[in-house]
Amino acid sequence: MAMASRLWVSKAASYLKISTFNRAFASVVKDLKYADSHEWAKIEGNSATIGITDHAQDHLGDVVYVELPEVGSAVTQGSGFGAVESVKATSDINSPVSGKVVQVNEELNSSPGLVNGSPYENGWIIKVEMSNADEVKSLMDSEQYSKFCEEEDNH
Amino acid sequence: MTSSFNYSTHLIPPRPITSQSTQRPTSQRPTASHHTTTEPNSSLQQTNKRRCKCYDMYKQVVPFAEAWSWQKSIVEERKLLVDGNEDGLDSLIVVQHQPVYTLGTASSEENLNFDIKDSPLPLYQTERGGEVTYHGPGQLVLYPILNLRFQKMDLHWYMRALEEVVIRVLFSAFSLKASRVEGLTGVWVGDKKLAAIGIRVSKWLTYHGLALNVSTDLSPFSRIIPCGIKDRGVGSIKELLIGSNRPSSTSGYHEEGDGKLIDIAHESLLKEFCEVFQLELCHQSVSILRSPDR
Repeated sequence: MAMASRLWVSKAASYLKISTFNRAFASVVKDLKYADSHEWAKIEGNSATIGITDHAQDHLGDVVYVELPEVGSAVTQGSGFGAVESVKATSDINSPVSGKVVQVNEELNSSPGLVNGSPYENGWIIKVEMSNADEVKSLMDSEQYSKFCEEEDNH
Repeated sequence: MTSSFNYSTHLIPPRPITSQSTQRPTSQRPTASHHTTTEPNSSLQQTNKRRCKCYDMYKQVVPFAEAWSWQKSIVEERKLLVDGNEDGLDSLIVVQHQPVYTLGTASSEENLNFDIKDSPLPLYQTERGGEVTYHGPGQLVLYPILNLRFQKMDLHWYMRALEEVVIRVLFSAFSLKASRVEGLTGVWVGDKKLAAIGIRVSKWLTYHGLALNVSTDLSPFSRIIPCGIKDRGVGSIKELLIGSNRPSSTSGYHEEGDGKLIDIAHESLLKEFCEVFQLELCHQSVSILRSPDR
């Protein structure tokens, strides 16, 4: 790649707060928190927006269906709250934090592929009002998560 | 000679080891040319295979709801162990089912040729992936409950591995050449699907599994669009071997023949399952599943 375009890429990356790596790797967004079951949480005050990471959607393949919880239902850190289906395999999605579901991404009912195409933005899955903000401390930051993915893939 | 299942062209040892170069295939999805690579793996010959509890009811026709409930309770128990980092043995349940239709998480009612409220057979909406299918006598159903952390944490690999088990069975026990079709999970002989697969994964614990038509009465499949695939059919081992799905007096095939086919398929399934997943089966008394504590 020419010097100029490499510079552009890294400028764009830092503007978008996306970490890029030299080899082809799933993207990780700074400022998000991560669970070891490959969900991310965007913490804003007492609210957490939750989705699955690029690494997760990459491993799953094309998502054909997302099972959403009911608004108002409770979620517990580490426990399943929904599911994603791809290629005849349906997997649990676990919540990185405990609390109450205040919003679900209804768009996923008609466009489950958003999880693949935009795992950190339009493919968000639920919004939770947290019951215990301390739980966030047990989540990984972007660097820890990147390292975690590397280790997991090489195991 | 141990033939462990190698999904990519890179040798993947059956047990995770600390250093592996380029273990993951470069593309996430399986490529069109699936190889059954049987390269000798003698340098990594496993003498201690992981043990797997086997609840073998292959001659029994078990209600779907019962086997489903067994799986769920085994998975719940194991999730607690996994959380406490104490997870133990895998399990395998082998059964035949009474006639039922089952649906997966995203199953469409359009794949039913009847009103869902008016199903000719018991119908279960399950939490597995995949579309509608039929289970019934003459079909061997395997429910492996494996912790993929002990195998490969890759759902695609797991599906291909389940297909691999059946492909090997069909070849080694029945001399039938079966294949995969990219994008259509399952095991095919020509354009007929002999084995259907649909799974659920929770904390890397798998359940549900695969169903192989041995001497199944295939007519209930005509009331559904099996697995949502319109332009292909469903087949059975018996149909492929003797050319029709009903006992033919001219061929001298008797009803006992069905039993023999099931016996042969069962034995081969367990053998190939152990080979592909590098497990050693420990047969358990079925009464454990049926005990009131469960």
